[in-house]
Amino acid sequence: MTAVLNINGISKSYGKVKALNNLTLQINQGEVFGILGPNGSGKTTTLGIILDVLNADAGSFTWNGEAPSKYSRKKIGSLLETPNFYPYLTARQNLSIVCKIKEVNESEVDRVLSVVDLISRANSKFKTFSLGMKQRLAIASALLGNPDTLVLDEPTNGLDPQGIAEIRAIILDLANEGKTIIMASHILDEVEKTCTHVAVLKLGNLLTHGPIQTILNTQEQVCVSSDDLEILKLTLSQIDGVSNINQTGGKIYLMLAEGKDSAYLNKALFDKGIVASEIGIQKSDLEANFLELIK
Amino acid sequence: MLDLIKIEYKKIIPYRTFWVIFGLVFLLTPAVFYGIGQMGNDTVSFSSIYQFPDVWNNITYLGSWFNLLIGMCVVILICNEFSFKTFRQHVIDGQDKVDFIVSKVLLIVSFALFSALYLFIVGFLFGSISGGSDVSFVKDIKYLLIYFIQAIGYMSVALIVATLVRSTALSIILFLSSIAIESIIQLAIPYPFDKYFPMEIIANLTPNPFLKDIAVQPGIEIANPLAEAQIPLNTTLIVAVVYIFIFWGITYFILTKKDIK
Ligand SMILES: Nc1ncnc2c1ncn2[C@@H]1O[C@H](COP(=O)(O)OP(=O)(O)OP(=O)(O)O)[C@@H](O)[C@H]1O
Ligand SMILES: [Mg+2]
Repeated sequence: MTAVLNINGISKSYGKVKALNNLTLQINQGEVFGILGPNGSGKTTTLGIILDVLNADAGSFTWNGEAPSKYSRKKIGSLLETPNFYPYLTARQNLSIVCKIKEVNESEVDRVLSVVDLISRANSKFKTFSLGMKQRLAIASALLGNPDTLVLDEPTNGLDPQGIAEIRAIILDLANEGKTIIMASHILDEVEKTCTHVAVLKLGNLLTHGPIQTILNTQEQVCVSSDDLEILKLTLSQIDGVSNINQTGGKIYLMLAEGKDSAYLNKALFDKGIVASEIGIQKSDLEANFLELIK
Repeated sequence: MLDLIKIEYKKIIPYRTFWVIFGLVFLLTPAVFYGIGQMGNDTVSFSSIYQFPDVWNNITYLGSWFNLLIGMCVVILICNEFSFKTFRQHVIDGQDKVDFIVSKVLLIVSFALFSALYLFIVGFLFGSISGGSDVSFVKDIKYLLIYFIQAIGYMSVALIVATLVRSTALSIILFLSSIAIESIIQLAIPYPFDKYFPMEIIANLTPNPFLKDIAVQPGIEIANPLAEAQIPLNTTLIVAVVYIFIFWGITYFILTKKDIK
């Protein structure tokens, strides 16, 4: 795997506030990398530094192994914090300026406006847009030139439920095309649905990072119960593909290997002469896991 | 380079404020020039201000006042880049701080070029129509070149003030009062160094022609730069050009020192 972004010991302070403390991260090609953390944890600061609008006090970073330059940024689609456009220009005029900066063909403007469903308002001035429309335009702008790498700071900020679903679908489509996406968010649900990897920040410190399943324990659990929990437990441990068995209250929780479902488990138990009184899928509690993490 | 200036004009051609200011300057310049020439009475006639070669000194002196308006336009355009956060967005999208400076310098030079060209047209028309002089119209046309440098000078001051202050209202006030602020500082500086202050140098590029030709009205005291400063125009020009480059350098320095918010 090739590293798209390598962050090496970056620190940044604002006066006494240590916004980022010796952050080291590697983001590889094809990853959808979520940066999680509470308000003020340094997510935007991190993205601002890798996009060269903030000067780090220490440390360095590379894009695709090269020192950062305006040429590397031209090939990255970015949305940092707020949509920034000329209020008196139309959506189309604004994007046409971005095309010129990114050295992208102007025909891209209509394509990206269609993707975010703004084509019918292409000739409206930016200042007449609603918050969600402004956010859509910013996402459209990030898509100009179909970049291989995207940097998105809270991409669904201000969007309606439909908009959130649409943007999420766009992100998933891009991920399926093999693009690398770096995304800051505090919406766990969003991160879970889109990200392959996460890093968790708190007060500028990197708490943990890695594949999302391991960090946030996103794997689904199966919960089973029957008359005799001890026998059930013993039997379960003999079934192929069952792991992480533990008992909480009057129920047994476990994990199933990929490709095995609750029907498989039910049949396996039945074959061993046990009738389960209950078999259910238990979504793991992301929020609880996350809050545990940042405690 | 060509792309950078194209981007600049993509931003401002649909911008109403830009047209209002330039419209005002382009309308007022011939109107006021005509008006001044019509003033006077039986004893003093001002109509000779239209004649070659004096017309070049006269029209560029008048134009130098409108340079303040054009400088204000530059202040607004640059402060916009900070208040709309579009400078930050441009960096994110793939420009750098050098591109910013080069873009703005190109914009400034193009504004100066258009204004000088416009003064040439106005001056040429007034000179041709008024007649009464046999000198060739190219005599003293150097004033247009000097005006061009002056326009760049004022707008470079606008650039530096806007980049430093970033708030539109404050920057406009500071830009318009920069001459006054400078003259206060000058009081504390011994002669002849006080004569080399940037705003004074830039202002002196277009010497006040009325002081040469017309009796000074009693009660109005205007410093005659030619008589008092005793810095030859050529020296003033060189010093002004040096200042302009220093201004661009300082602007770049300010940009590199700060985070882009
Ligand atoms: N311009 C600034 N001046 C002073 N402090 C700042 C500035 N920008 C950020 N900070 C501080 O740096 C820290 C990290 O801020 P940052 O914007 O990176 O947080 P974040 O993780 O993006 O938060 P959020 O979830 O609210 O967007 C905060 O403590 C913040 O107060
Ligand atoms: Mg943020």
